[in-house]
Amino acid sequence: MLGKLLKHEFRATARTMWPFYAALLITSLGANVAVRVMESKKYSDSVLLRIFSTLVIILFVVALAAVGIMTLVMMVQRFQKNLLTSEGYLMFTLPVSEHSLILSKTITAAVWFLATGAAQVLAMLIMSFRVSYVNKAWEDIRQLFSQITSYYAVNGAAFILEALAVAFLGCAVTCLMFYAAMALGYGFPTHKGLLSVVFFFVFLVALQILGTMGLFASFDGGLLGRGYVGTNTAVEVIRSVHLAMGVAAAAELVLGGIFYAVTALNLKHRLNLE
Amino acid sequence: MKWEFRNDAPIYSQLIALMKLGIASGEFKPGERVPPVRDFALQAGVNPNTMQRALTELEREGLVFSQRTAGRFVTEDAQMIDETKRKLAEAQVRSFLGAMSRLGYGKDEIVGMLGQCGPADSGENEKEAAENADL
Amino acid sequence: MPIFECRNLTKSYGAAPALSNVSLTVEPGRVVGLLGPNGSGKTTMIKLANGLLTPNSGEVLINGMKPGIETKKIVSYLPERTYLSEWMSAAQLMDFFGDFYPDFRRDRAEEMLARLGISQQQRVKQMSKGTREKVQLIMVMSRAAKLYLLDEPIGGVDPATRDYILSTIIQNYEPDSSIIISTHLIADVEKVLDEVIFLNRGEVVLRSSVDAIREEKGKSVDELFREVFRC
Repeated sequence: MLGKLLKHEFRATARTMWPFYAALLITSLGANVAVRVMESKKYSDSVLLRIFSTLVIILFVVALAAVGIMTLVMMVQRFQKNLLTSEGYLMFTLPVSEHSLILSKTITAAVWFLATGAAQVLAMLIMSFRVSYVNKAWEDIRQLFSQITSYYAVNGAAFILEALAVAFLGCAVTCLMFYAAMALGYGFPTHKGLLSVVFFFVFLVALQILGTMGLFASFDGGLLGRGYVGTNTAVEVIRSVHLAMGVAAAAELVLGGIFYAVTALNLKHRLNLE
Repeated sequence: MKWEFRNDAPIYSQLIALMKLGIASGEFKPGERVPPVRDFALQAGVNPNTMQRALTELEREGLVFSQRTAGRFVTEDAQMIDETKRKLAEAQVRSFLGAMSRLGYGKDEIVGMLGQCGPADSGENEKEAAENADL
Repeated sequence: MPIFECRNLTKSYGAAPALSNVSLTVEPGRVVGLLGPNGSGKTTMIKLANGLLTPNSGEVLINGMKPGIETKKIVSYLPERTYLSEWMSAAQLMDFFGDFYPDFRRDRAEEMLARLGISQQQRVKQMSKGTREKVQLIMVMSRAAKLYLLDEPIGGVDPATRDYILSTIIQNYEPDSSIIISTHLIADVEKVLDEVIFLNRGEVVLRSSVDAIREEKGKSVDELFREVFRC
C-alpha cells in the first residue's frame, strides 16, 4: 500500500513542481546566453542588450530561489490540504495505516528536496557552461576530488553517497518537524493554522537550544576532547568524517523519531476533520 | 402502474394491494413474468426487502408463483384472477354503499343515480370526481 | 454477526457529549436510516465507525472488528462534503479507487458515469457541485462493500438527483451488506428503508422497522419524526 501511496503522491506533487523546474531550465539557458552576451566585446556596447541580459540573469536567480521555496511550500501545503482538510476524509478512510500516510508524504517531500538541490546545481552548471572563469573553478574542484580519492584511499563516491543519505535524512526530519507542528495544531478545534505555526517555532527554538548544548558537549569533555576527532593523520580524518556523518545520522534519526511519533499520535487520536 | 403510497399503512401491504389491482385489471397479464426483486423494487422505488415481503405474500396467496430458475410469474389461474377481481370490486361497492348511506341515500335512490351518472373515465373527470367524492 | 455494532459508545467534545452510552446492532442485508436533528450525534457515530474519531469509552465494531485497516477494506463511506482532489479526472479517480480498494467495480462506475453523461476526462474542478456529488456517490456505491455509510447523501441536491441517488442505493442492495443512511430528509428516503434509528442529543430514542411504525402508529416515519422532535 505504501508503494501505491508513493505513486499517488509523486503524481500529485509533480503537477505542482514541474512548471518551476521548467522555468529554471529555461532561465538557466537564458542566463548562459546572457552572460556570454555580457562578456563579449561585440554586444556589450548596446545598452538594450545589457539591460535585457541583466534581466535574464535576475530571472535566473529568482527561479533558483523560487524552486527552493516552492519545494518547501509544496511540502507543507500538500500535507495540510491532503490530510487535514476535506481530502482527509478520503485519505484516512483508505485501508492504509496512518504510518503509510505519513511516510509516503515524508519520503516524497525529501526526494523533491534532493531533486530540487540537484536541479539547482544542474542549473548553475548549465548557466556557467563554457563560461570562462567558472570553467577554471570547475577544473579545480575536479582536481580536489581526485586528490581526496587517491590521498586518503577513500572512495569518493561512497563518501558522496553517505552525504546524500544524511542529506535525505535531514530533509525527512525537516518535513517531519513541519508535519508534527501541523498535526498538533490541527488537533485543536480553533486557530488550527496559528497554533501550527506556534508549535513549529517551539520546535525550532528547542532544536537551537539542543544544538548549542550538543556542540558544547562534543567540544568540552566529549568527542574532541577524548581524541576521537582529529585532523593529524589521514586515518584520523577519514574516521572523523565518518564519525561526524554517523553522529549526524543518529541525531537525525532520534529527532525524526520524536517528530514522527508526535505526528502519528496526533493524527490518530486528536484529528477531527470538519 | 403508478406507484403511489399512503403514509398510514406499511409499504409492503400497499404493494400487495397495488399488485392485486394490477393483476385484476389485466395490467399484469396472466403468466406474465414478474421482474426480479431488485429491478421491481427499483421500478417501485422501494426497499428490496419490502418488495420481497410483498411478493412472498402474493405467492402464498397463489397470485404469483415461482419456478426454480426461471423466476416469478403471474398466475394463469383465471378463476383466481376473477376471484381477486370480485373481491376488489366487492370492497369498492361496500365502501361506496357506506359512503352513500352516510349521505342518507337509500338503495332506490342509489339505483336511480346509477342510471343517470356515468363512470368517470376520462382523466380530468376522474380527478374531479375523486375530489368531490372525498367524504 | 452484526455488520455494525455500538457497545456503550460515548464520545464527547470537551464537556459536551456527542454520543452517550449508545448501544445498537445492525444485521447484514438491511437498509437503515439514522435519523435525528442536527447535532444529535449522527455524524459523530459515522466518523467513529470510520476510525476518523476515537471513542472516549465503549466501542464500535464493524463485522466484529475495531475500526482499522481491515474494517476500512469493507466499509464504503460517503461523507457530507466532497473529498475528491480537484485536479483529478473521473478516470484518475477510478484508477485511485481501483488501486486501493480491491472491491471497486470499475465497470459499474464507468456505466454510471456514462449514463449521467459525465466524461471520464472531466476534472473535478470543472464539475458543478451537483456533478461532484454524483461522481462521489458513484465511486462509493461502485464498491462491493459490506457496509455503506452515507452521510446526508441527498442533502443539497435537486429532486431528480435525489431520485437517482435513491435508485442507486436500491440497485446496490446485497443480502450480505448493509447501508446506513444518515439524513434529516426522511420523507424521500422512507420507502427505501427497512429500519430507522432516531437519535437525539447523543442517545437512541427509538429503534424500529418502518413497517412496524406504520402498522402500530398508523403514520409514516416522517410524521412520527416530526412529532417526536417537535420544537
